[in-house]
Amino acid sequence: MEQYRLEKVAKVFSRQQIALAGIDLSVRPGEKIAFIGPSGAGKTTLFRLLNLTLRPSSGRLWLDGDDVEKLHGKRLRETRRKIGTVYQQHNLVPRLKVIHNVLSGRLGRWSTAGSLFSLLRPLDVESAHQALKQVGIEEKIFTRTDELSGGQQQRVAIARVLIQNPEIVLADEPVSSVDPSLATAIVRLLIEISRDMHKTLLVNLHSVDLALEFFPRVIGIKNGAAVFDLTPEKITDGLLEDLYSGHFPQNGEDDITDENPSPPVLQ
Amino acid sequence: MKTPARLSFNNSEKSVFPYLFGLLFVLTLADSWRRVGVDLLVFFERQGRENIVKFLGGMFPPDLSSGFLALMVGPTLETIQISVMGTLIAIALGFPIGILATRNFSVGGILNEADTAGAPARFALRFSIYCFARGLLSFFRAIPEFVWAFMFVRAVGLGPFPGVLAIGVAYGGMLGKVYSEIFEAVNPRPLEALQSTGANKLQIFFYGWLPQVFPNFISYTLYRWECAVRASAILGLVGAGGLGQQIEISMRMFNFNEILTLLIVLFLMVAAVDYISAKVRAIL
Repeated sequence: MEQYRLEKVAKVFSRQQIALAGIDLSVRPGEKIAFIGPSGAGKTTLFRLLNLTLRPSSGRLWLDGDDVEKLHGKRLRETRRKIGTVYQQHNLVPRLKVIHNVLSGRLGRWSTAGSLFSLLRPLDVESAHQALKQVGIEEKIFTRTDELSGGQQQRVAIARVLIQNPEIVLADEPVSSVDPSLATAIVRLLIEISRDMHKTLLVNLHSVDLALEFFPRVIGIKNGAAVFDLTPEKITDGLLEDLYSGHFPQNGEDDITDENPSPPVLQ
Repeated sequence: MKTPARLSFNNSEKSVFPYLFGLLFVLTLADSWRRVGVDLLVFFERQGRENIVKFLGGMFPPDLSSGFLALMVGPTLETIQISVMGTLIAIALGFPIGILATRNFSVGGILNEADTAGAPARFALRFSIYCFARGLLSFFRAIPEFVWAFMFVRAVGLGPFPGVLAIGVAYGGMLGKVYSEIFEAVNPRPLEALQSTGANKLQIFFYGWLPQVFPNFISYTLYRWECAVRASAILGLVGAGGLGQQIEISMRMFNFNEILTLLIVLFLMVAAVDYISAKVRAIL
């Protein structure tokens, strides 16, 4: 059975800003897919739809056979538990210690009272330590998160996903804020985790090279639509040129994660 | 980077509104001066001058006799206790209501988008809770603590307890309002990440929300406690215990030297509270 199934999924933000213009997609369990494309193409919006943060404006999205339109309250939270997300900006809580940021991956399974208690006395130090060891920074377990470097914070975010132990891992530009050698290491880490633990892995990547090197399926997104969906050997320079043509990266430009993004204006 | 889709400003068109508001402001000022009866000459007229001299002269020297000072110990402690208990009640009221009155917690933003999409009943419920919380806070705040104290004295009798209740309710309204503003200004990205793990809203609040604003939260609460010390010192004027009661008695007896002593005690008290809260803030 398919894990994700998208039919003509579109997302329009207020003021007629079209972030996604109708995407069809099907993902089988255990697949590893890289999404590439210019900034502002709608990749981040797509991921926020896939992890059930946003709702499609039109079209339909099924996750494990459930129509996400029908998920609310407790069932919505239980479904979100199945999906772990690594964000471009790490999205950790800066003033908390590393261990609490890692253990927050458990919140979906913990009771409210238990999770409050854990802020005073961490409930599962052993698992947190294990997860941090897996990403190579177990010595930072009791450090305050805002004292870590960008690359270390990204590892904490990955450890949080490990603790969450989801069926699907989404990583939205996980390496755009780290240097190239670390980028390769982090992508390799994500691939290993998903292979060893049989998880579906979807990654947004700035770097075409990393996408082509590590992923058996690569999807190009442009102007809120999928322009190709191929194995890496079928992706020609011409296709890549078309994907990025008409796009002039500007200083400070980034993929949009805001409520009011500035996507390509389709009129 | 955020870029607005359309810039709707038109700078070439000059608006008359600034001038209109300027005029309105001047008129308001002039009329207020007249109606409130500001009369600076009162300080220079013979009668006024004599009153001031009598009052200020009567204050010196302050009454530092051991008998009067011993009499002050009880009310001073009581004033501090009223402020502490009142502030605790204010936090107990203001914190939960303030959370519900936080827009991006209760109704809007990324924590409610998926949950309320296509579920109008859910949205309506959240929106009414939000409005109710805001309304309640406004109501608590709209009535001055002095008037609350007056009403509570009628309800539960004289003594420190009505003072505690008055501070609790009035300051609960102020704390709740400011808490909600502090909470609304939080960075939503960590909250989104917590939500995506399947956490519920309370868990998101204590893991993502409160840690981000904690220093602000504490320092504003301490500031309100300072204000509560001052407020509880005068609530005695309507019979709600503390130093205020003594101030009223001394005023009525024209014992101005006692008044100066009381003012000194008040000053020392506020300075001490200020010192304590500065120390706490420095730790954060």
